[in-house]
Amino acid sequence: MGGLISLIPLPYPDAVVALGALVLGVTAGVLGAFAVLPRRSLVGDALAHAALPGVCLAFILTGAKDPAALLAGAAVAGLVGAVLIILIERTSRIRPDAAIGVVLSVFFSLGIVLLTAISHSGNAQQAGLERYLFGQAAGLVERDVVVMGLVGAAGLSLVLVLLRPLRAAMFDREFAGSIGLPVRALELATTVLLVAAIVIGLRMVGAILMVAMLVVPAVAARQLTGRLGPLLLVAAGVGALVGVSGALLSARAEAPTGPVVVLVGVLLVVALLLLAPGRGVLWGWARRRRERRRESATALLVDIESLMHAGPPPTLEQVALASARPRPHLRRALRDLDRAGLVAHDGERLRLTESGAAAAHAALERRRLWSAWLEHGWQIGVPGAVEPDPRDLRGSLGDQAADRLERLAREAAA
Amino acid sequence: MTAAGRLPALEVRHLTVSYGARPALWDVDASFPAGAMSAIVGPNGSGKSTLIRAALGLVPADAGQSSVDGRPARSALDRVAYVPQREAVDWDFPITVREVVEMGRYRHAGWVRRLRARDREVVDSALERVGMAALARRQIGALSGGQRQRAFIARALAQEAGLMLLDEPFQGIDARTEAALLGLLGELRDAGTSLVVVHHDLATVRAAFDWALVLNVRAVAQGPVGEVMTAEILRRAYGAASLGLDDQALEDALWAG
Repeated sequence: MGGLISLIPLPYPDAVVALGALVLGVTAGVLGAFAVLPRRSLVGDALAHAALPGVCLAFILTGAKDPAALLAGAAVAGLVGAVLIILIERTSRIRPDAAIGVVLSVFFSLGIVLLTAISHSGNAQQAGLERYLFGQAAGLVERDVVVMGLVGAAGLSLVLVLLRPLRAAMFDREFAGSIGLPVRALELATTVLLVAAIVIGLRMVGAILMVAMLVVPAVAARQLTGRLGPLLLVAAGVGALVGVSGALLSARAEAPTGPVVVLVGVLLVVALLLLAPGRGVLWGWARRRRERRRESATALLVDIESLMHAGPPPTLEQVALASARPRPHLRRALRDLDRAGLVAHDGERLRLTESGAAAAHAALERRRLWSAWLEHGWQIGVPGAVEPDPRDLRGSLGDQAADRLERLAREAAA
Repeated sequence: MTAAGRLPALEVRHLTVSYGARPALWDVDASFPAGAMSAIVGPNGSGKSTLIRAALGLVPADAGQSSVDGRPARSALDRVAYVPQREAVDWDFPITVREVVEMGRYRHAGWVRRLRARDREVVDSALERVGMAALARRQIGALSGGQRQRAFIARALAQEAGLMLLDEPFQGIDARTEAALLGLLGELRDAGTSLVVVHHDLATVRAAFDWALVLNVRAVAQGPVGEVMTAEILRRAYGAASLGLDDQALEDALWAG
């Protein structure tokens, strides 16, 4: 242990804090996924709050602040809370969210009352127990880190062994039961895993905000990957990053660690929600906007084409009257067409260039093909599980099927 | 179609299940012949899904037994492939199509060990068979309803079980996929697999299935579709008013599929 800490290029107390935060981040990141993915994040919150009276009772019973004893108390109380939640859900008609709320508030109230009683008891040992509320990374000692490491290693090994059954039970409970998996026991196992993560984080992050250490890494990782294995690895990394940076910052600033960790984590999550490749909200907006503009420009192209068939090249005003679309939309679509070199201007009048006419014909062709699909699609076989895409039917069905459709449409017209 | 002397693929006896005070199934005796494609039909709330789930031990039964190939069902789960209703699943779960199908091999491969080459081959051919090989790396939520159902059926194929139980497999999917999957189920039956399908479309039952159980909390009738899917029996199961058809129209509708 001492050897490991001397490897970290930081002053000794900071190195202990960093190592502890690393253990916490990795463990809570991985184990938290088993709360977030089955949509049981609030159970994690309730269990963290439920751990507080356990810490107090352990202190009252032992009369000392031995980390192993306090965390054992936290674990027992957390498990009792978990069992209560499950019992309330199964035996009464109270819904899960209400059961979670009841257990959280009752246990936390009990914890606060015990904490107050202890602080008035005059026991000289009691100073510092209140750090289990908001967490305090500063002052962490090697012995704390050793206990955290042991619990974390046990939790992570359990995940490694049970990964496949856990995945099946979380994704599809019914199927998991049908292949003989003990689904309820697995759900209990995930709860035990959560309690393990909470026990590790209680001293550093505190009961009130521990849920963030469980939720933030899994949510961030889900933005980056769509598979469980990589998700757990990324969550471990995110947990480590958030935990270590938050703990060191708070230790320097002499602030409670919980809030600092949460703020660091939330920054990361917000950035990923907006910017993650594929799932980022901003990319989604940009993609939809691009598609709308493309559709709007294509529609204008087709409108000009059909008006040119009917008479002299139209003005934008005439297109607006014929198509009943708002003028600002049309002006923007026209700018897009101009930029692509698809229209030419004769004063006020609009003409399609050669490439513009080709693009208009291609668009009309796509519409005709879709109509042909609706009318004759049932007659042609489509390989595999392809989904017809109205905007690009040829691309989605393949050339062979598209050619057959065109032939069928021609025969029907003849 | 049913070889004489073969035990029923699935049999339930005196099965009673209740949610709260009302029984969902009440003393149901039913057996589904081996090597046949059987349908379970009945009105909403008649206990169709419950029958399958209770037979597999997924919901506790108040009374009764179920057996697969003559053995107690809970000890014969390796002979059963179950395709649950799709509503029960979290579609945003981080899992790919291929990983879903691999779940069908978990029992064979063991819970902890890696999949062997043979398991991977079975997964490949199951994906191929439902036309999903090209989509194997997609996240399951990025699929259409029909493609999701194909993935679920591929998972059942990968189980290589003699009995396949499907719960409303065609609910909410397009007609093209329904026809393709119905054809696939027929091929499986021809190759010797026994199938039991909870189904809501009375018209296709008569055309595509061999055997039917008409259920409404109790077993109303069971037997070859030609004998069971009659206006008289269906009226008893559904109540005449709810079908809104006279006998002749109902007969026509049944034969139309």
